[in-house]
Amino acid sequence: MRRFFEHIYDLTAFSLRFFKEVFIPPYEVSEFAGHLENFGSRSFPLVSVIGLLMGLILALQTKPTLARFGAESFLPAMVAISVIRELGPVITALVVAGRVSSGIGAEIGSMRVTEQVDALEVSSVDPYRFLVVPRVLAGIIALPLLTAYADLLGIMGAFAVMFVSGGMGWQLFMTSTITSLSIADIIPGIAKTFFFGFIISMVGSYFGFKASGGTEGVGKAATSAVVFASFLILITDFVLVKVGILLFE
Amino acid sequence: MIEIENLYKAFGSQRVLNGLSLNVKKGETFSILGKSGTGKSVTLKCIVGLLIPDAGDISVDSMRVDVGDRKSLFRIRQMIGFLFQSGALYDSMSVRENLVFNLTRHHRVKHTEARDKAAHYLTLVGLGNFIDRMPSELSGGMRKRAALARALVIEPQILLYDEPTTGLDPITSAEISDLVREMHSKFSITGIVVTHDILCAGIVSDRAGVLKDGVLKYTGTLNELAGIEDEEVKGFFRNPL
Repeated sequence: MRRFFEHIYDLTAFSLRFFKEVFIPPYEVSEFAGHLENFGSRSFPLVSVIGLLMGLILALQTKPTLARFGAESFLPAMVAISVIRELGPVITALVVAGRVSSGIGAEIGSMRVTEQVDALEVSSVDPYRFLVVPRVLAGIIALPLLTAYADLLGIMGAFAVMFVSGGMGWQLFMTSTITSLSIADIIPGIAKTFFFGFIISMVGSYFGFKASGGTEGVGKAATSAVVFASFLILITDFVLVKVGILLFE
Repeated sequence: MIEIENLYKAFGSQRVLNGLSLNVKKGETFSILGKSGTGKSVTLKCIVGLLIPDAGDISVDSMRVDVGDRKSLFRIRQMIGFLFQSGALYDSMSVRENLVFNLTRHHRVKHTEARDKAAHYLTLVGLGNFIDRMPSELSGGMRKRAALARALVIEPQILLYDEPTTGLDPITSAEISDLVREMHSKFSITGIVVTHDILCAGIVSDRAGVLKDGVLKYTGTLNELAGIEDEEVKGFFRNPL
């Protein structure tokens, strides 16, 4: 437990440094572009499958219950609100954390144990600015886009269920979906993904920098990054939901 | 050129350096000999500011390392090339890019010029045919050579070597040691070589010292050290192949 709070303390200090370093040149544009591709485009196939399945499963699970109360027509609205407000951002963040956070932890961790981070420092390159800042920026930008894409696919999945099982048309489905959504559903849903993107990259980088003791240390960094990032995503989500309720309802 | 006075460094309760003092003159190559865990690498890392000493003074070319701000540390590091024990080549870049990266970032060299210079130094260390390979495609000896080229390409006044021959076979070790000697003579480089390989120390160094109990207990030429009546020192000179 003490170790956990030590990590929280160190991670907070490590994260706060970002807000100072991000404004100091040189700006690592090519590094940022590379990480954006890794975080964003390479997560696309995984997010596509997860997004579609999320909508399919949610619609399949809730359809019989709604049908029992004669409220089947509310299914598009229910799926859209659930996906956009909560499931889309959280599930996408958790899935991407599994792929990206562990990858960052392992990558920076192996650089740490093979003295590549020291080599950067000796070459007068600030390792934080070179390794952490571009990754975190990529996370902040890529995750909202991935989430929007996953939300869209989730809604498509729900439409597929409604179309196959009930013969609901595209126009009716979309009208029902769009009229049910308000700005108070969309803004908090997207806003929280900026925080999640920050957490995914920052936690991976932090555990990578902390890695020590050879390949075992690299493995530990990767595992701890996923566990910690997932935990923080859920805690942050809880806090942001509360904030969203206070602000928008 | 490099002056260290009363250097102390501990990790938790384990005291590693216990008042180490060392003076390396311009153009001289000094080897630090010592058993594993005696603080040889720690000394090197204190010189480049990778570790902060608990007490003591370190000066490089009359600039203080231990109390300097980031800017002066940056200036000192621009004068120093560092050969890490593992080579520490950036494994996401090709061998040539490893050299170009160092040149273009802080030495104001244009990219095309940096590429030519990188090729020149890689040829110099015998890797002319491997410049576009990835570090993972190189053998241990080749990686050490590439790391040496990366340290040399910035044309440093000082080169620090952390176990340059560890993990290499005796023939490759001798080749690397000869290469280090050759580069030092050619470019008048001041060097500190941390090693427990007495053959390497014999080839590269003008003077050497034995690190024991956190201080340089004995210093002198290798011939002088060979005559010292100390079991640990004798151990280095026993069976050097």
